[in-house]
Amino acid sequence: MSSLIREPSDVSRRRFLQVMGASMALASASGCHWETEEILPFQRRPEGRVPGTTRRFATSIECSGVAASLLVTSYDGRPIKIEGNPLHPLDRGAASARSQAAILDLYDPDHSRGLVQAFEGASYPRSWKEFDPWFAGHMAQVRARKGAGLRILSEPSSSLALASLRTRLAELHPQARWVEWEPCARTNKIAGSKLAFGRALRVQPRIEQVNTLVCLDADLFGLHPAALANARAFAARRRPEEAQPLRLWVVESSLSLTGAAADQRLALRDEQILPFLLALEARLAGGKAADGLFLESLADELLAQRGAALIAVGPRQPAAVHALAHRINANLGNTGKTLLYSEESDPAGVMELGELAREMEAGAVETLVVLGGNPVYDAPCELEFRRALRHVPLALHLSHYRDETSRACTWHLPRAHALESWGDCASWDGTRCLQQPLIDPIFPRRTPLELLGAICEAKLGAPELVRACVAPGASDEQWKKILHDGFVEGSAARPVEAALASFSVPAPAPRALAKELRNGELELVFAPDRNLYDGRSANNSWLQETPDAITKMTWGNAAIFAAETAAALGVEDSTLVKLKLGTRELEVAATVLPGQATGSITLHLGHGRSAAGLVGGLEQENIETVGFDAYRLRSSDALDRAGSLEVMPTGKSWQLARTTDPAVTDSIGRKQMEGLVEELARVRTLADFRKEPGSERESEHESLWNKPVAEGVRWGMAIDLNSCIGCNACALACQAENNVPVVGREQVIRGREMSWIRIDRYFTGPERSPRVRFQPLTCQHCESAPCEEVCPVAATMHSAEGLNDMVYNRCIGTRYCANNCPFKVRRFNYFNYHKAIEAEGAEVQRMLYNPEVTIRHRGVMEKCTFCVQRIQAAKIHAKNEGRAPADGEIVTACQQTCPTQAIVFGDLADPKSRVARLHAESRGYAMLAELNIGPRTTYLEKLVNPHPALEEHDG
Amino acid sequence: MTASATTKVRLDEPYHRPLLIEGAEDLASVTNRVCGVVERPKPPRAWYIAITISGSMTLMLGAMVVYLISTGVGVWGNNAPAFWGWDIVNFVFWVGIAHAGTLISAILFLLRQKWRTSINRAAEAMTLFAVCCAGMYPAVHVGRIWVAYWLFPVPNQMQMWPNFRSPLLWDVFAVSTYATVSALFWFMGLVPDLATLRDRATTKLKRVLYGFFALGWRGSARHWQRFERAYLLLAALATPLVLSVHSVVSFDFAVSQVSGWHTTIFPPYFVAGAIFSGFAMVVTVMVPARELFGLKELVTLRHLENMNKVILATGSMVGLAYATEFFIAWYGGNPYERFTFVNRAFGPYAWAYWIMIFCNVVVPQFFWSKRIRTNLWLMVVVAILVNVGMWFERFVIIVTSLARTYLPSSWGYFKPTWVDVCTFAGTIGLFFTLFLLFCRFLPMVAIAEVKTVLPAAHAHKENGHE
Amino acid sequence: MNVFPRWMNALRVLAGASVLAAGVYVVALFAYGGSPKTINAGFSPEQPVPFSHALHAGELGLDCRYCHTTVEIAARAAIPPTETCMNCHLRIRTQSELLKPVFDSWASGEPVHWKRVHDLPDYVYFDHSAHVTRGVGCVTCHGRIDTMERVRQEQPLSMGWCLDCHRNPAPNLRPPEFATAMDWQPERPAAEVGAEIMQQRHLKPSTDCSTCHR
Repeated sequence: MSSLIREPSDVSRRRFLQVMGASMALASASGCHWETEEILPFQRRPEGRVPGTTRRFATSIECSGVAASLLVTSYDGRPIKIEGNPLHPLDRGAASARSQAAILDLYDPDHSRGLVQAFEGASYPRSWKEFDPWFAGHMAQVRARKGAGLRILSEPSSSLALASLRTRLAELHPQARWVEWEPCARTNKIAGSKLAFGRALRVQPRIEQVNTLVCLDADLFGLHPAALANARAFAARRRPEEAQPLRLWVVESSLSLTGAAADQRLALRDEQILPFLLALEARLAGGKAADGLFLESLADELLAQRGAALIAVGPRQPAAVHALAHRINANLGNTGKTLLYSEESDPAGVMELGELAREMEAGAVETLVVLGGNPVYDAPCELEFRRALRHVPLALHLSHYRDETSRACTWHLPRAHALESWGDCASWDGTRCLQQPLIDPIFPRRTPLELLGAICEAKLGAPELVRACVAPGASDEQWKKILHDGFVEGSAARPVEAALASFSVPAPAPRALAKELRNGELELVFAPDRNLYDGRSANNSWLQETPDAITKMTWGNAAIFAAETAAALGVEDSTLVKLKLGTRELEVAATVLPGQATGSITLHLGHGRSAAGLVGGLEQENIETVGFDAYRLRSSDALDRAGSLEVMPTGKSWQLARTTDPAVTDSIGRKQMEGLVEELARVRTLADFRKEPGSERESEHESLWNKPVAEGVRWGMAIDLNSCIGCNACALACQAENNVPVVGREQVIRGREMSWIRIDRYFTGPERSPRVRFQPLTCQHCESAPCEEVCPVAATMHSAEGLNDMVYNRCIGTRYCANNCPFKVRRFNYFNYHKAIEAEGAEVQRMLYNPEVTIRHRGVMEKCTFCVQRIQAAKIHAKNEGRAPADGEIVTACQQTCPTQAIVFGDLADPKSRVARLHAESRGYAMLAELNIGPRTTYLEKLVNPHPALEEHDG
Repeated sequence: MTASATTKVRLDEPYHRPLLIEGAEDLASVTNRVCGVVERPKPPRAWYIAITISGSMTLMLGAMVVYLISTGVGVWGNNAPAFWGWDIVNFVFWVGIAHAGTLISAILFLLRQKWRTSINRAAEAMTLFAVCCAGMYPAVHVGRIWVAYWLFPVPNQMQMWPNFRSPLLWDVFAVSTYATVSALFWFMGLVPDLATLRDRATTKLKRVLYGFFALGWRGSARHWQRFERAYLLLAALATPLVLSVHSVVSFDFAVSQVSGWHTTIFPPYFVAGAIFSGFAMVVTVMVPARELFGLKELVTLRHLENMNKVILATGSMVGLAYATEFFIAWYGGNPYERFTFVNRAFGPYAWAYWIMIFCNVVVPQFFWSKRIRTNLWLMVVVAILVNVGMWFERFVIIVTSLARTYLPSSWGYFKPTWVDVCTFAGTIGLFFTLFLLFCRFLPMVAIAEVKTVLPAAHAHKENGHE
Repeated sequence: MNVFPRWMNALRVLAGASVLAAGVYVVALFAYGGSPKTINAGFSPEQPVPFSHALHAGELGLDCRYCHTTVEIAARAAIPPTETCMNCHLRIRTQSELLKPVFDSWASGEPVHWKRVHDLPDYVYFDHSAHVTRGVGCVTCHGRIDTMERVRQEQPLSMGWCLDCHRNPAPNLRPPEFATAMDWQPERPAAEVGAEIMQQRHLKPSTDCSTCHR
């Protein structure tokens, strides 16, 4: 199965790591003995290197011109896990699902390993040795022509080093032009600030100061570049002890993570947000009562919360909406309190992609250097970028994968992974982050800095250049600190004064006000995928198999319809529909989702890659594409949404790979579910909670089993549903930490996904404005665990410290334990999901795996262990020092990365420990406590804060 | 004595019962008739056709098992949450079938039910063959069969023992004991008849083979005396097993806490169901067998009718059990259990549930009518339907309960794969192959025992019987 | 009629007996042949360099930790890098043929290919530091290395063998400072000494599955 190309086998990987040095070989010894290992020690052991232990280094990854600051764990010189950088002011140790999954790309066999030259239809492998002299010669000619016909197409980047090279390029090749393209750019935001202030400004939300947060199609906790910090601040403001708890209002067309966390949510078509905001502004300016109780109450609250409110607008909204929001924030006196402005990079003087495409068609481009990106896949469809490339005699594409663009260019140049690169970038608040290699390029790959350096004959090598740009004139000591921290302390951007210009907003199109839409004028919204983003992660099997936070869909996308819309159009869930936009048609799967605005259809970008790789699809090798390519409908005039969509049901059914079975369509099932959810994933209004703080708890029952003696350490966990925003970061952390295999689309459909921590998602209440409940579920390590009683070979046993140990090497796979587990958190290896990497030549993939966790083979059960390997390591370390591990010294992978710190692990026997205190909290309750199995995980109720006037209007 | 009293006595007088064996059979003719089946040079055409079909199905079973073990349990439809599927369904189904034999032989023997003599041999054989089919499933359904021996308490360098709290372990012991005792019991009964075959054997080979297994039986008074003693002991030993095996099998479910499994009613309910299906299977195979090998006089309509009566009785018990389950689910007030049962009857698996109800509760009621009860064709139809119904009972219990347990987020739906189907078909093939071979090479009816119920066996009584 | 002559009855006994005997034999065969003691203990592969612990640890009396530097701080005792050998052998035996692989490694930077002697299954996680710092002597598991010309696996290293000590560690405990002393002998009964050490250092070795299997 294509998706299984990732995982290493137990044997090879663990042996790999058991040797002292960097590599090893197997040889069979004579005599009656198992195969003998060889031990290959270093010739000289690097200083401070202790074989078989981990070291951690700070670096960063850039995405859409914004940095994520990371702390990467390296084992015997191999990076094996990405975590957030605890020192960084924004990330504070958290890392998004996508940042964490990047480690997988490093060892991905599809991650380009060599140069390829396309020549007369055929392609030939090349080496840098061949390339460099030839290229130098060519560039000399280009330079002679002052760079006429030279175009550099790059992704937007915050790198100073890149910028410095760019200026040097301008000197060297005055005629050359710099082009930038990014499918999900911040163009509207910048245009908006220009409209409002006459300059490009960036909004720095100060959520800790906000009492009323209004998100207009703005996914502050999901896709926002500073989502981690936003979510953390939000969670902090939601604590019940907060005197003035934050109320979150969301107006959006399709459920986002932010919408899921909302207290009051209104589902509007994207195009209706402008009129909504205009009405709001009118109302705030003392206009007459506008339409709708929602807007009324919101307006009143905003007025009441002057200076403590924030109106945030999402990148898909047109400039006018942004400008309006700026104005309202200013007039309400929020500016400077709940939000600050900082300089935003102004793309002035940068060539548009469209212009480039026209030049190419005209044959005006002789040399095109594409630094990253994948325009052939994600450029606006009417540009026909692939066709345009045919008119370019020399097109070089530096990219991680030999993707659609690489295959359309004359040269593909392998690009180094971030963990192999020197570089720099800035996080959302402007903090200058450093990118340093943890490992030499495993294969001869280069960074954009190196390639550009070659083009403009830079004097400095990448490392020197980066140091010169990041910390000019820094002493070695200071530089050491920067290397250690991974960023330049106190380099955050200074807030700037923003003087509001006067501007008028054009009245919205009448159709935007229409309450009913006819088929043919429906709204199609293009949104980046929560896992694959714009498609760059399409070959990452972890992200492909991580269920989307809201739809719980894996391996593919689907057009999202509101129930009413679907009914009106005769569209059914899990069928194929044809989307028609002008002359362009696309057949996609359809799904029905609560909380979707009627008349608005959302389609996620980033799927349907035709040349992603063995995971994401590779037409040339007949590996089917995953999902549907929304870019085929996305044109320059409608990058964010199109207003003339026609939907035609085909009647063909389509199997969606969802992890939560949506087949709960039968009335009995639904009734039962709605009954139970109130018990399982508890939600109460803050008002109720303040009236009656205690949450109902199950009293202790008599048990037939003798309870384990409660002396010594008792490991336990607390999960605060009030903080969880369902962002999937924990799921990815667990996947990387515990070598959780990927099983592929077919297996997910069969319900055999292996994730150790799953985030249950429930919708309750009305279809239009559902209450969304997230509930991360790991093994609950029950005091008297049902699984333990029934295992015939004692493969799962209780440890003295209350862990429910799962012993893979004892398990014979009767699966009885999983049947008897009421939480269904046990996962069974129905096949050998690690087969592919037992193969010859998979050595590189094997390097990924965490040596402290056994790889599970076919036929054994597995499940969350509370990261027992981390527990043991900490215990041994502490005891070697003759002490007990302190509270907070042992941190599970999921807990470590959680941006909102919803997960806390520790010793319940120590009353002072954080986890013990959370267990004692009045919001705490245990799932299925009535079964008397004594789960060691306590959940804390979610508290919502709906507007009193609107409360009865939603469920 | 008063007249009335005498009448009463006369009514109870055994020699007024109808004959167990029809036709003018005497000791010799019984022997000839039964041994004739084995000694005839060629079995009937139908036998060849049947064994070709069942044989090839058995080969398919082999292929399926090899594929399963070499690839992984994933080739079956089992998933999460339904970690058990057809594998355990079929296991329980076959164990159920395996019940009739020993019941007929042991319990009816102790109860002095003489009519058993004509059918017990075949029934016991079926028991063994069904146990073979059943026993295969738990073995191959585990993820790592190559370490399945850890199920047995063998001293080892790991100093690890099995977990004696686990019902699965009790199962291992229960089923293996049952298999052993049934085999012994069956073989014991065979010995005298094997000796008969040996003595009538025409070829050297037969003489040696039958001779070997006849263990030098000479039919001396002492042999008979010991034989009777041993047979009685084994019967006494087997009787509790009949009840225990399926009780223990039911513990696999009853001891767990899956709602729909966690029910105290299970042991009797399972035993009744087992006898129900077991008798149905005996009828299913004996009717054609007696036609095929001309044993109508030995296995009479009365025998079949008696079995049908048992089917009617046990069928009603099973029906009662279904009703009780539902009542308790409602009366118990456990929301999860209540849902499980509502879901069974009206949820995604309703079709399976109603098939079960129809076949197991409705269909057997036809046996109230003597006409249906004694009509060969109809009784076979009913018996087959009962077998279908009992298979669905296990499917309903196991799969529907697992598919929707406590957390709605982890609900699922079980779909079998072609491997599931072929494997099950294969076990059916195995069962019939073994049975056909048995018919061909061993005395299908317990000669020695049948003779004891012949009039001739009681020649000294004044008017033929007793 | 009987094809089997009477004297064959004697065979019945014989047959029974031999079946029994066969059973016993097979069980014994597997019990012995399969045990780690048979398979692993005594394993002593030829090494690329005939490095003699008897000479270095024994006669010259080098402490184990001179080469196995990480034994007290990490899971692995770490086979020394070539550099460690060269500390001395830059001057001593610089022409020795036997040392050629070491010199080659020193010159080329390529590692010496040592053969692993004590090899636990991959699903077993053993930590040297956890044992040495608690007072389990090297000799307890590795035997008198200081007398071995060529390293040999002394103990079966089987699960049961580990458990024996984890259940009753006292006899195998010693003051940690003597952990590497090969010839250390307790003045008083070992069990007594061990019991005291357990007392002082609150040692209660765990027999939980996750102690070794993760």
